[in-house]
Formats: sequence, structure tokens, C-alpha cells
Amino acid sequence: MTFVQVHYGATDSFITMPDGSVHYIFGFVDLTGVPENEIFARRGKATLPAPLLDVRAGDRVELTLTNLGMPQRPDLDDSHTIHWHGFPNQISLWDGVPETSIAVPVGRDFIYYYEPKDPGTYMYHCHFEPVEHIQMGMVGPLIARPADYNPANPLFKTAYGAGTGTEFDREYFLLISELDPVAHDQVHRVQAFDWSEYRPAYWLINGRAYPDTLHTAPDGDLSQQPSHSLIQANAGEKVLLRFINLGFEEHAVTILGLPLRIIGRDAQLLRGLHGEDLSHWRDVLYFGAGQTVDVIIEPQQPGLYPLFNRGYHKNTNAGATPGGMMTHVVVYPAGTLPPQPGPAFKRGAGQGSPNQLPGGRMHANTSYSQRIAGHPPARC
Amino acid sequence: MPTQATANGSPAIHLRAVDGYIITPDGASIYIWGYRDETGRAAQLPGPTIIVNQGDTVTIKLTNELPEIVSLMFPGQNGVFRLTNSGAVPVGPIYENGRLVSLTDYAPPRGTVIYQFVASRPGTYIYHSGTEINKQVPMGLYGAIIVRPAGFDPLDPATWSAYGPETGTEFDREYLLVVAEIDPVLHEAVRLGKPYRPGTYRPRYWTINGRCAPDTMLPDRATYLPRQPYGSMIMAEPGERVLIRYIGAGCDAHPLHPHGNHTRVVALDGRLLRNGTQDLSHKHFTVLVGPGQTYDQIFQWDGPVYDPVTTPIPTPIPNLRNQAIGDAGWTMWSGSPYLGQKGDIPIGVTSLNVTGEYYFMLHSHSEPQITNWGEFPGGMMTMIGIFPAGTLGPEVGRLQRDSRANSTRERR
Repeated sequence: MTFVQVHYGATDSFITMPDGSVHYIFGFVDLTGVPENEIFARRGKATLPAPLLDVRAGDRVELTLTNLGMPQRPDLDDSHTIHWHGFPNQISLWDGVPETSIAVPVGRDFIYYYEPKDPGTYMYHCHFEPVEHIQMGMVGPLIARPADYNPANPLFKTAYGAGTGTEFDREYFLLISELDPVAHDQVHRVQAFDWSEYRPAYWLINGRAYPDTLHTAPDGDLSQQPSHSLIQANAGEKVLLRFINLGFEEHAVTILGLPLRIIGRDAQLLRGLHGEDLSHWRDVLYFGAGQTVDVIIEPQQPGLYPLFNRGYHKNTNAGATPGGMMTHVVVYPAGTLPPQPGPAFKRGAGQGSPNQLPGGRMHANTSYSQRIAGHPPARC
Repeated sequence: MPTQATANGSPAIHLRAVDGYIITPDGASIYIWGYRDETGRAAQLPGPTIIVNQGDTVTIKLTNELPEIVSLMFPGQNGVFRLTNSGAVPVGPIYENGRLVSLTDYAPPRGTVIYQFVASRPGTYIYHSGTEINKQVPMGLYGAIIVRPAGFDPLDPATWSAYGPETGTEFDREYLLVVAEIDPVLHEAVRLGKPYRPGTYRPRYWTINGRCAPDTMLPDRATYLPRQPYGSMIMAEPGERVLIRYIGAGCDAHPLHPHGNHTRVVALDGRLLRNGTQDLSHKHFTVLVGPGQTYDQIFQWDGPVYDPVTTPIPTPIPNLRNQAIGDAGWTMWSGSPYLGQKGDIPIGVTSLNVTGEYYFMLHSHSEPQITNWGEFPGGMMTMIGIFPAGTLGPEVGRLQRDSRANSTRERR
């Protein structure tokens, strides 16, 4: 059991799309470990998605939220909250719903407290005027690991605990959402937006649209979008994909050539009341807003496998193709990539991209973008 | 007093297809077509909830007071017949002059039609018009059917389950949430007799039991919502098993997300999630309710019991002026983190908290659907109230028939 303390700030910033367009967002910024006298310097530095919250069943988790205000919108005195979406048996104090609890005014702090018991993939987001604050970007991935999680032991490196058939070698989170540029622009310009007119033009994985999804190197243009979603593995490995839908639409995600073993939904191992195994194979993962799905893929052949949205109009950037909700799975010959470092994701400020893998450096001589642009890498 | 459950009853129900108006929290008055029973004066949304027992031979007479043909469909019921002078005839699609005019037998304007079926399986079902469905169903011609399992006795809580004994569907309280959308352009076009192209369907209101939030949280049969008699505020005590029935009555999918805890989905489309002896039920924190689907779920809040003396909460609470409470002028927060206790809230904020209960939102996570024409809060949102043990009466969270046997009037 660990006492985990994290500190997030609510503020704003801008993100960029591959077509060069810039969009105003609200979001969270990681303040964990940031000295008190430097916290205000993080105003205007929100990231999309928000920092990964990575905890373990049995932990005691204190999450302090500081409302830093919106430098771009000094008029806006909105409060903010953290809602741990799906936390079982929550009490209303820490549920983050302003109408049923306390919200955090500008300049103030509030401490949320959790004792996670059930492992799985969750999400968190602000619940203040949620239609606006979620679309504006106050969304983050949340992983609760099983109490017996041990990345050094393959039997205990699991999504849902030893003996649940959820062992994995590598893992990635894929937080998918949409972006309606009109809504973002209206909010930036202090104009009302009719949310029943919501019409996204960009479809995102971890806050980025294709081809930025493949971009593993740190990049100034993507400074507020730290998470790529290039999935890399060695042949024969089990790769856990944690899908989180924090958009407002249903999405149909598929990986051409790699069937999906669905092992968990909504932070629940797919087991029946008496332990019946309800896991199953799919080629298309169709799921709705506010749902999470845990998928394990087991690629056997080295190669490049596209992951995309089968709702084909969602693989576009403001109408231009290709783009949108697309990334790749790159499978190397067995033994090529070193093990994913454990714990796979680090929390805390300045840790860079949560999905950043050191394995990428081994192939620095041919970047993935070159590889993809250059020739069809049927075999890597 | 509720009707005594009988093994093989034959309830006779009379519905009328009529028009009327509903109101939305932003002040709009929306013309609807809907069903009413003998007690109503105009269309209600949704139509009267029909509660029958497994094995009942259910006879439903439809009188059409609308200007065009109207019908009733019973998805999920096997063997639906139309009663005629020459006997019972299976219902089916109606073609006239080579054109499909109705998916099922209909009543002409000022006419009637009588349907009959045996409610062979327990569960949650929908009924709605089978005529001009892209117009008549969104206009409001829909409602719910609940079939009680054999052995269900409304007077004996030990018999309360959705699907019978030993099915894991036993409950202490139950709630019915019929969700749908409203495109006001359609409703206005019908009111004015103007054409409407279904391809332009663009909802602006999202409803639970015909109401938009915050009206969803008002009591059943609130006098100021005369055509929207069913509330959807869920109330329970810690540890109680709450059966929540969802019905997707609209044309869109709705990802319904309850705060507080997962729900265990025990049945879909009136079918217990069982495969022989194998249990297929599973827990979700969001259920994507598609058009025409029904979901039965067990919700239970069994959270930690904090006590200010013995087990105080481990975090500090900011003093009142460092909190944001009641941004909208009201709050459902008690002012205290302890169940059953109340604390200070800022002056000027109306407290809607009765007795220190916890409230958890239940809403569509397609968040534009929790607005009223784009304005938050609204739409497809309600609350789950967890009340201190011993504070809720047995009448809370009951779906039951009226005292008059075979009456069509259902009350909650």
C-alpha cells in the first residue's frame, strides 16, 4: 500500500492540428512536485490529454486540484473539479460534481481522496459545465493496477491481477475524443456556443490527429500534446491497449490484420457472476462516450498495422484525408525492442510523454515517419 | 392498494392516441402526439406504463383520436393478434395500393383496433406506434411494458425480482427510465401540418421519461407537469438493490452513466443474461442504450461509512469562502461529507438536500445531450440519491398498478 500524492492544476493553453490550425483548450497541468513559488508559472500550460493518473488497488491517493485560472480568459471565473469516472462506491464529496459537492474556485485548492479497490482503466475529467469543460480538453486517462501488480514478474504484470488471463508485455492508453473547432473558437472569443450544434471536424487519439499520432520525438509544436500513440511491440508479445472514449460520439476502432481480444470493459474484468469467462474476440471495437475497453493484441508477424476509425469520415482533419483517428502498430522481430520500462508510465511533472518508449531510440537511423513515408514497411 | 398478482390474469387496457403539449425547463411548450389512458385528458409522455404478470393474456384496445392512422407495436412479445369479429388474426405489415402504410394493424382516425398477446416472458419492453414510425414515434407515441415474473407479489418484497427467483435480479426498489430525443422542428411541422424531412432530424432536447433536466428530478405526477407524469429521481438507502430499467425509445444511442457505482447489467431486451447455467451479466459504468433496446440493471451503493468521531474523512475541507457551491443558485450538497448530516452552505444558495443524503448524477455522457437546446444543465440527466438508512418509506421506488383491477392507469 502506497500513499500517493499528486497535484494537478486547471488552466488553459493551445493545441495544434496537423494542418497547422491552432485551437484553444482548457485542461489540466501536472503540478506534482512543483514548488509553491513556481506553480503560477504553469498557468496557460494545460496538456491534452491531462496527465496520466496511475495508481494501484490498495493505494491511498490524495489528488490536490488547484484552479489556476485561464490566462486567455481572464473574465472567466469558472470553478473546476476532478471526477474519477467510474470510481466504485464514491462519496459525493470527492465525486467532483459541482451540483452535488464542492467545486474549486479560481486561486483555490481542494483535495480529492481515493482508496481504489478495483483495478482497471478509468478516466477523469472536470465535471463543471461538463459539456463545455470536457470538449475543451479537461480529460485524462486513469489506470488502477491490481494490488499484486509487479512488472518484473510476467505472471504479475497484468491488467486485472494474477490468474485472470490479462498478462501483458507492453501497454498503451488511447484516449479518444473529438474536436469541434467552432466550439473552441467561440469559447476563446467569449462567445456563446449552442452545444446542440456540436459538429467535430477533428478526431483525436491522445489529443492528436494523424499523422501527429505517430510522432514519438518531443516537439515544440506539440508541447501541450505530449502523448503519441504509436504502438510498438515485438512479434509474439501481448500488448494491452486501454481505450478510453472521452468524446461525445460512438467510435468504431479497428486494427487491420490484428484481432482484438476484449478482456475488460468499464474497469471490470469480463467475468460473469460466478466467474464465467466473458472475454471475446472482435475485429471492430465499437464503444460509446464514457466507456473504457481493455484490449489485448498478440501480433505474431512483424509489420506495420494501421489502427483507424471504421467511421471513415473520422480519419480526416477538417475534411482533408488522411488524418484524424488513426495511428499504427509497428511489430518488430522478436527480441528487437527492449522490455517496456516498469512501471510503464511515470507520474509527476516533467516526465515527458507517458507513451514515450525508450525502444524507439534503437531505430533512430530510420524514423517512423521516414519509414512510413518512404516505402511500405511490410517487414521492419 | 396494488393489484394482487394472479397467475393467469387477463388485463384489458384501453389506450387513446391523442395530442397535447409538454413543457421543457427552458420554457418551451412542445406539441406532441402520445397515448393516454382513461384518466388522462391529453397525450402524456411517455405513454402510460403497462404492468402485467407473466402469463397474462393482455388485451389492449387502441382508440385513435389523431388525424391519421395510428397503431401499436409490441417489440419482444411473441404472437401478437388483432381481435376481430371473426376471431383473432396475427398482426402484420399493412400494404394498401402497393404501399406500406403501417408495420402492423392500425386504427383509422376515429376508429379502434384491439391487440392481444400473452406476456410469456418477464422483462422490460417498449410499446410504440408502428405507423409513420419516423414521425409518430419521435412525436411521442411510445411507452413501457413491464412483465412481472411468475410468483411476483407486490405485497411481498421477498418475491421482488425482475426475472424470477435465483436469477440474481432481486431488488428492493425499482425505477424505469425511458430515454428519447426531441427535434422541435418535427413537432412544430406536425402541429402546423407542414412537411418534414426525417433526414433533417436534429434533436435539441433529450428526455428521461418525457422530461428534461432538471424537471427529471421532480416527483411523479407533479401537478405543474401534467402531461409528463413520471419522474426519474432514483432514491435508495445504502446496500439496497436498485433495479434500474432503461428503454431507448428515441432514434439515437445514449451512453448512460451513473455516478456512485457501476451497474450490473442483468438483462437486455427483456432477456436474462444467462446461457443455460452460465451467467453472462456484467458490470458497467456506462451503458450505451441504442434505439429500441432495453437494459435491466442492478445498482447498489455500498460505500464507506465515514463518521466525524470514529472514522473522519482523511482530507481537510476548505472553509466556506474557499469553496464553490451552488453556482446555479442551488445545490444538492448537504454541506457535510457525512451521510445523514448537514453542514453550512453559503448564504443565498438554496439547499435541495433533505436529510444529508448523497447525490450522484446519472446522465448521458454524450454531453450535448445534457443540455436544453445547447444550454447546460438540462436534458438527459437525473440524480441518484443515497439516503441514510431508515429514512425512505416503502412507497419510494415502486412501480405498481393502480388499485382498480384491469385499470389502465399505472402509477409509481
